[in-house]
Amino acid sequence: MSQRNERSTQAESNGVSHWLIHHAAHRAPESLSSRLEEEWLADLGSRASALSRLRFAVGCCWATMVIVNDCPRSRVPEASPVAAARGFITLADRSFGYFSLRSGTLFLIAGLHAALFYGLITLSQTHGIVPSSILENRPLEDVPRAKVTLPQSLPKTWTITVPKPEVPVRPVLVPGDEVTAKAREELAEPYSPPPAVIPTHVVARVAGGPGAGFPDTADFYPSQSIRLEEQGVSTVRVCVDSHGRLSSDPTTVQGSGSTRLDEGALRLARAGSGHYRATTEDGQPVNSCYPVGIRFQLKK
Amino acid sequence: MGKKDANVRMSLQTLRVLEVFLENPTEKLAGADVHQRCGIASGTLYPILLRLESAGWFVSQWESIDPASVGRPRRRLYRLTSTGLRRASEVFASFNRGVLA
Repeated sequence: MSQRNERSTQAESNGVSHWLIHHAAHRAPESLSSRLEEEWLADLGSRASALSRLRFAVGCCWATMVIVNDCPRSRVPEASPVAAARGFITLADRSFGYFSLRSGTLFLIAGLHAALFYGLITLSQTHGIVPSSILENRPLEDVPRAKVTLPQSLPKTWTITVPKPEVPVRPVLVPGDEVTAKAREELAEPYSPPPAVIPTHVVARVAGGPGAGFPDTADFYPSQSIRLEEQGVSTVRVCVDSHGRLSSDPTTVQGSGSTRLDEGALRLARAGSGHYRATTEDGQPVNSCYPVGIRFQLKK
Repeated sequence: MGKKDANVRMSLQTLRVLEVFLENPTEKLAGADVHQRCGIASGTLYPILLRLESAGWFVSQWESIDPASVGRPRRRLYRLTSTGLRRASEVFASFNRGVLA
């Protein structure tokens, strides 16, 4: 009994699927109609379940809509074995680029709506579509005034603390104000802005450098660099205290291009501790940091 | 056949269909076979097959069987053309390079 019901249900769903495919194929372009129907019915046979067949048939209906959109009926030639091939040519002639027929239709509809909307707005502004009765001046009807009673608990006096501004604030004259008389007296005096603070003392700063007794560069010229005839200027940064001594280890600021020369320059800078000329400010030696260029050059 | 070597808009579904055919470029596949391998619904699959065929990437022909003796209707089989194989390979190569075709 149940098997008989299943068979009848399957037969019904098959019938619906066949009808849907037949219907979909006949809505397709004429050149493709018979081919699609035969192709889809053949592929329908590979579906096992009734639900799967139904889904396939519904999908074919959707496919027809897409195919019709891709290939308008007016451009498809009559059905024939050759015509089917021509139908593909018609399809191929269509551009599958960014601006498809669907996009064009969408833009057209949007443009028409925009034009209609703009026209309505312009018409309403020009001819006054709004009924004149709405725009008439009408006297306002008397509205009974509501009696407002203040709550008794409100304090009679308020104390507001305002921080005193650092910059003097000029009072503003308001006619009828009780403060006006006092403010007027203040305004009688000419207002002079506070004088700008201009530094009067300029510090005379003299940068330090290698001083008397500073070691000779030749003593720190790396022997291998001499053999290789390496030359160059290595700039090191030294921090010197007020007595001309190094307060920290010197560092290479700009290399000479040779690691050996740079290391020699650092050794020279360290050896010169105590022989630096301290930077002076107003003649007084101070702690400071400054760059020192050390040139390694071979004598010819 | 159709216009040869036309540009085809590359969607994810189109790429999946091409991928199925590129697994064995000489194999002829029906729409049902493609559906089984990539799971694209019929509503999307057949328009893609038609587009690729009209662009010259595919050719299709009826299965050479006798429906009466086999007991089922003949199927429409699709196969990659040399143009389709070249263009599909280019598309996937460009994806591997990180550049969209």
